Amino acid sequence: MTENEQAVRTFSLPSVAGNERLAAKKIEELLRPLGLSLRLLERIKTAVAETAMNAIEHGNRYHEDLPVTIETEITPGSLYIRIADYGGQKDTPMAEEPDIDAKLAGIQSPRGWGLFLIHRMADDVRFTTDKERHTVELTFFLVREGDSDFSI
Amino acid sequence: MPQSSVKMQVRKASDQTIIVDIQGEITSAAENLLMDAYTQATTVGARNILLNFNDLEYMNSSGIGLLVTLLIRANRQQQRLVAYGLSEHYRQIFTLTRLNDAIAIYSNEQEALASLN
Repeated sequence: MTENEQAVRTFSLPSVAGNERLAAKKIEELLRPLGLSLRLLERIKTAVAETAMNAIEHGNRYHEDLPVTIETEITPGSLYIRIADYGGQKDTPMAEEPDIDAKLAGIQSPRGWGLFLIHRMADDVRFTTDKERHTVELTFFLVREGDSDFSI
Repeated sequence: MPQSSVKMQVRKASDQTIIVDIQGEITSAAENLLMDAYTQATTVGARNILLNFNDLEYMNSSGIGLLVTLLIRANRQQQRLVAYGLSEHYRQIFTLTRLNDAIAIYSNEQEALASLN
């Protein structure tokens, strides 16, 4: 695929614990021809794995027959990854911003880092829901090997 | 809960210092092994616990939560947690989460051990 081509690809995974790693691996394979910087690739993989894990756990509640659908759209300057589950009936929960001091003081749970990581790894994150599906769209500005990456 | 894809080895660096070699994935599935390693270290009276991440393959948000839990326990026992061998990506995650405020990070075992003197 060349820089000027635009491509949309879709795949899906059963909602099985641990499949978020498979999602990240498939994304890595899809993006390999783009020659992205290792730093960007690691950010993408982490954001995809965390979003897919939320979809499997909270959206589809580990129902294996409910797939998590992952769509990638590559444009010359940006990569869009849309991860959809069947949790569209619920509103997207407002997550408390994790704070290490509050966690160490016992004020917050030690957990609750998922959405934080997704927001820090991606350049933009958008949530949409309808009656059925819940979709998270991750945007990454493309940085190729040898380019500077100042996005975080 | 998914199967654990991690191995941990506890070894003694000195009377007060224990190193936990982590090989594989730090996710929720690693909880028992990580807490067992911590208990072993505490049982022998370790004041310093070094986490060796040289062979870390993957860590997710649940794994970060586990490290926070470990840190809470270590703080209660007035033990010091130190990490080394993290890749650039995970170093960045330690910085973003501010875990690096509470867990000192070094490049390698030699530097980590030297920091304790």
